[in-house]
Amino acid sequence: MPDHTRRFATIAPLLAVALLWVPAGGFAQTGSGQVPRNTDQSASTVKPDRWLHVRVENPDSKDETVRVNVPLELAEKVLPTINRNRLQSGKVRMDQIDCQGVDVHALLDAVRASKDGEFVTVQSKDADVRVAKQGGYFLVHVLDRSHAKKSRVEIKVPMKVVDALFSAGKEELDLVAGLHALSSQGDIELVSVKDEENTVRVWLDSKNTTD
Amino acid sequence: MLLAKLTLGFGGTLVLAGVYTFHEGVLRIDDDHANGRHVHVWIPAAVVPLVMHVVPKRYLEPAAGQAAPWLPTLRALTKELKKYPEAELMEVLDSNGHVRVRTHNGKLLVDADEPGEQVHVACPLALLEDVSSELEVDAPGV
Repeated sequence: MPDHTRRFATIAPLLAVALLWVPAGGFAQTGSGQVPRNTDQSASTVKPDRWLHVRVENPDSKDETVRVNVPLELAEKVLPTINRNRLQSGKVRMDQIDCQGVDVHALLDAVRASKDGEFVTVQSKDADVRVAKQGGYFLVHVLDRSHAKKSRVEIKVPMKVVDALFSAGKEELDLVAGLHALSSQGDIELVSVKDEENTVRVWLDSKNTTD
Repeated sequence: MLLAKLTLGFGGTLVLAGVYTFHEGVLRIDDDHANGRHVHVWIPAAVVPLVMHVVPKRYLEPAAGQAAPWLPTLRALTKELKKYPEAELMEVLDSNGHVRVRTHNGKLLVDADEPGEQVHVACPLALLEDVSSELEVDAPGV
């Protein structure tokens, strides 16, 4: 056998392995996210990922914690594929939700149409309640003094998100549209609840961890 | 000389087969009980769709039928999760245990620790996608 044939026979398997490895390595890179996403877009148009975080903690017992981190884009894509009970194609049917005779849609229409202001203000010995629209946000504030440890609820939802949620009509709540509207918002704390046992926080930012 | 060539050919084939088998990673399931029972399963991810392909349909169809409503969700979820290869998705910690769901290196990792039992699952996302595709073929109405 000529020398060059022998040399080729020696390196051929190694070459084959190397060739096979290249697509595997390429896949691994894509899979591990090393390659920038949306490579067909310029860097200036790539939006940072938006993450919805939920954290439930029990301050008295430090070992009770729930942390959930969900990319909004993932939720937007996955929700429409779930068709169970009230949730159909990313929308929740409202007609089956008991609102104690309150027309929620009409109520929110009225809130949307109104100017900034306080809609409900209650101040009593037991509790403070405030419902307002301010600077494009729908705000709810509840302070319950009836318990030894005060309970506090703070909700802050951008009106754009409220509009998107109710964009599907009277009978449905469009969760996907709501998430899409939420993704265009900056960092924001949506819900904060502190009661005797737990603290609950729901917020939006660009970090993929809660810490 | 002939023996050397044969060894080289066999070795090369073995390396190629090994590289192909493991190029999608490994599905790993570890279950450790305090009573001394341990279950450790390591399966090359590339093998699973191949095995599903050759398993008789009558065995797969019931599973595919049950999973059918969730297959589009599974496919969408794995496709999206691939974009987040390093993410802490969920963590639940209480006095009875600790559950953690995250992605790492293109794998979905589920770790559940409780007194007396620890379960760790590492599943390549590509495998989940392949399995959902295989099941969709056998699932009615998907």
